[in-house]
Amino acid sequence: MAPTNQVLIKESSNVRTIILNRPKQLNALSLEMISRLSEVFHLYEEDPNVKLIIMKGEGRAFCAGGDVSAVVNDINKGSWKLGANFFSKEFALNYFLATYTKPQVSLLRGIVMGGGAGVSIHGRFRVVTDNTVFAMPETALGLFPDVGASYYLSRLHGFFGEYVGLTGARLDGAEMLACGLATHFVPLEKLSLLEDALCKANSGDPKIISNIINKFSNKNPKLKEKSQYFRLKTIDRCFSRRTVEEIISALEKEADKNMDDWISWTIQSLKKASPTSLKISLRSIREGRLQGVGQCLTREYRMVCTVMRGEFSRDFFEGCRALLLDKDKNPKWKPSKLELVSNDMVDRYFAALDDKDWEDLKLPARSNLPSYAISKL
Amino acid sequence: MDRVDFRTKVLTRHLKNHHNPATDLLHIGQCVNYSPPELSEPRPDFNTKALRQLLDGESVDEIDYIFNLMIQSDLFCPRERGGKVFISPDFNQSMEHQREMTMRRIDYLRERGAFDGWLTRKGPDAELSGFTRAITVGGFDHSLGIKLGVHFFLWGGAIQFMGTQRHHDKWLKPTETYEVIGCFAMTELGHGSNVRGIETMTRYDASTQEFIITTPCESAQKYWIGGAANHATHAVVFSQLKINGVNQGVHAFIAQIRDANGNICPNVRIADCGHKIGLNGVDNGRIWFDNLRIPRENLLNSVADVSPDGQYLSAIKNPDQRFAAFLAPLISGRVTIAAGSMNITKIGLAIAVRYSLSRRAFSIRPNEPEVLLIDYPSHQRRLLPLVAKTYALSFASEYLKNIYVKRARESIKTVHVVSSALKATLTWHGMRTLQECREACGGQGLKTENHVGHLKSEFDVQLTFEGDNNVLMQQISKALLKEIVAAKRRNKPVKGLGLEHLNKPEPIIPSHLTSSALRTAQFQTDIFCLRERDLLHRFETEVSQREAQGETREHIFTVTYQIAEDLGRAFSDRLVLQTFLDVEATVPAGSLKNVLGLLRSMYTTIVMEEDASFLRYGYLSTDNAAVVRKEVLKLCSELRPHALALVTSFGFPDALLGPIAFNWIDANAWSSVKENNAVFPFLTNML
Repeated sequence: MAPTNQVLIKESSNVRTIILNRPKQLNALSLEMISRLSEVFHLYEEDPNVKLIIMKGEGRAFCAGGDVSAVVNDINKGSWKLGANFFSKEFALNYFLATYTKPQVSLLRGIVMGGGAGVSIHGRFRVVTDNTVFAMPETALGLFPDVGASYYLSRLHGFFGEYVGLTGARLDGAEMLACGLATHFVPLEKLSLLEDALCKANSGDPKIISNIINKFSNKNPKLKEKSQYFRLKTIDRCFSRRTVEEIISALEKEADKNMDDWISWTIQSLKKASPTSLKISLRSIREGRLQGVGQCLTREYRMVCTVMRGEFSRDFFEGCRALLLDKDKNPKWKPSKLELVSNDMVDRYFAALDDKDWEDLKLPARSNLPSYAISKL
Repeated sequence: MDRVDFRTKVLTRHLKNHHNPATDLLHIGQCVNYSPPELSEPRPDFNTKALRQLLDGESVDEIDYIFNLMIQSDLFCPRERGGKVFISPDFNQSMEHQREMTMRRIDYLRERGAFDGWLTRKGPDAELSGFTRAITVGGFDHSLGIKLGVHFFLWGGAIQFMGTQRHHDKWLKPTETYEVIGCFAMTELGHGSNVRGIETMTRYDASTQEFIITTPCESAQKYWIGGAANHATHAVVFSQLKINGVNQGVHAFIAQIRDANGNICPNVRIADCGHKIGLNGVDNGRIWFDNLRIPRENLLNSVADVSPDGQYLSAIKNPDQRFAAFLAPLISGRVTIAAGSMNITKIGLAIAVRYSLSRRAFSIRPNEPEVLLIDYPSHQRRLLPLVAKTYALSFASEYLKNIYVKRARESIKTVHVVSSALKATLTWHGMRTLQECREACGGQGLKTENHVGHLKSEFDVQLTFEGDNNVLMQQISKALLKEIVAAKRRNKPVKGLGLEHLNKPEPIIPSHLTSSALRTAQFQTDIFCLRERDLLHRFETEVSQREAQGETREHIFTVTYQIAEDLGRAFSDRLVLQTFLDVEATVPAGSLKNVLGLLRSMYTTIVMEEDASFLRYGYLSTDNAAVVRKEVLKLCSELRPHALALVTSFGFPDALLGPIAFNWIDANAWSSVKENNAVFPFLTNML
């Protein structure tokens, strides 16, 4: 494939800096970018001259996600399989990054959402800063947290992952560090110094890299006064419930005792989201907790293909219409209520697709998987 | 000289900077590497999820939900080893600490609604879900499972089955929410299996309309009462009931033993049973009653009552039948124990088999890599038949759960006999398997964190509680004998308990067995039926001969235990084979069905190989026994390629297994020595 200017690469002896370069679209990942990223990551793994990979975004965002409107366009013009193709490439890249043998440092300036999290959170070092905003907002769009989110969200403390995944809550840099999505917090003004220092050190040793980042980091960035991270206990009590309905009713009980902005926002965001999305997302995170990252992505691929095919629900298309195209912010979900989404309907998102041309996600072969990448279920 | 050289190298390495793996690798080329079985083994050729579905049926979602709850809480002691997080109780803590942790884990699960509806929802699904909860948490810690079992199945079950509406209304809801914490005071120091011999005595005082419970002597102290030592507020007390000077036999009463603040009530004395070889997270205690007065309404009166003026009333006149009705709650205990023992057996096997797929020992030829443990035929022989048997017995435990929750008046006898048989067979198999797994893991099996060895002492008690296994086996034989004697007396064919094969002609066993014949369901069924039929006949003959000589039945049953136990096993094995065939019949032709066929053949062949009765009574000639023996080895090598997939299908998340099931080299690396037990892998993996 011809090199694209949507992904730029800077070389500095043994360090490669990958720059997502589509600033007008907040670096939303196009198929072209995904292909290019897969290509260079494969190349660098084999190349003994490459020791460290730095990833960042051009402009004010790191990456706002996969380019969903392009996917919807493709599907509308052709077949849902074009959408499936996009996700198979994206998820294969996520898997490759999650099992990558060389250290990746992601400098997360500005927005990191959906697909943007998928190309950074699986890497070894995730550096956040003053203006970082993280979210997995898919349930509001009729989708579900994908790109391996069922792996990394489910491994956050307690049931914080369910909270983040179901409500689409936004986390800032300090919150990301506190919950483990980020490994370091570096103040905005020091980010470029850090980048220079990493290039200068020219090392692939995780301990050395970690020491360098530590020199620039703020170990204990202050959580804002009203941070949702102070609500962990409530989140834990409510989001540990077995079903979405029970989660909402537990939240409502909490609200009866102690109503405030945060709890009413939380309940509202769940009520606004696609009921189908909420149910499949919860199940995906719960299954993901017992699986390895490869199995998570394989399952998510089944789910996303079922969503794209739109046979059981067309919420994804409705969500994109309401939020991205018409921007009336008033999606009409179908089924419209949680109780109308039966277990049988949910089951279908987790089964292999009944289509003779369809295949399960093909994960790139890895010769030496780290133990956390494998789970047996 | 080589040794000196080696020591020098070791010392150099100790002195050298540890962060220099590249140079180490150059000089010591023979370092043992861990390779995950997932990469080295062939991909499963059957759907492991579908096989798990056969094992866990409807319960898969609920099991996984409980795994989620446990894995996500610090109360379940998550620990990182070799890049993975494992949860396991901290057995290094004191007995008191372990008991406190059990209670805190229960509170955590309860607050999240994990026990909602356990007693207040009705119907087979609700009961099945109760089993699932107790068994699944038991896979984390037997104490947690037992503590729940005592509270819900024994205390709660006694209220449900022995009590009437007034008890249900008053006690079930507060039990579910743990406002009331129950225990089950049946066993005494002097009487265990023989419940009818207990010595606790209860009288009635019509003037105050109260019962008065007394412990008349030391041997009547309540013993092993789970929950009594620390936490229980209430007990179901089993006691003789004496009304107007007549002993009406054993009855059950509700007695409060602690107040809401945990203080022991007046006229009750409680002491601890002390430290045990396992299950120290359960507070087993002893209770004495000093003329404790309780309201008349506290008699659990489903089969008998006492009127306010002190008249004894019972719909069931026969004290034997009254007693049988009383013991119904114990059956749910047996079901949990039987199914729970398969659960932990699966954990032990998953760990031992996974270890054998990554651990090597000895090279066959010089300079060749060492051989994987599982590739030694002897190691296959140790583990794979146990895997097959575990599958067979797990199917049987699913069957038992199902007939229990769907029980009706006419099936209660079957439930009773089947639960006795399977409780004994499954728990014996569990202990034997854990011992073998322990040995198969070598020294690593001794470490508590690797589970297999430790589980033995945690689960040993299963062979005793809810009925000693040997006693149960003899009871089965008595029940079977009763069936055929009754059928003969009525001159009707035998019906029920799977004994219908007795009405058919005796099956004929080929004099020259072949490998292919051994693998047919027909032959397997024939020889298992033949064995049961013949042993039943021998038992019947011996009993009637002795009766003819004027011996009492009680005496006869005490001296015929050898054949009675042989018969009990024959009944149980035939039943297990039948449930296996029933499961197999639901699976469409294909790779999964083929593997099930292999497992069934392994199960039946290993039973024939190991149970001496086949040779003792001549169901197998010595020639045929040799064919059987050879077939075991063949089946081992055919199951070998499926080993990983078979233990994967058990469905345990990694966190429930031990470090030796995964990268045991990283788990033991020097770098892990300094790291504290960091909790969430996601936080630490990447750094």
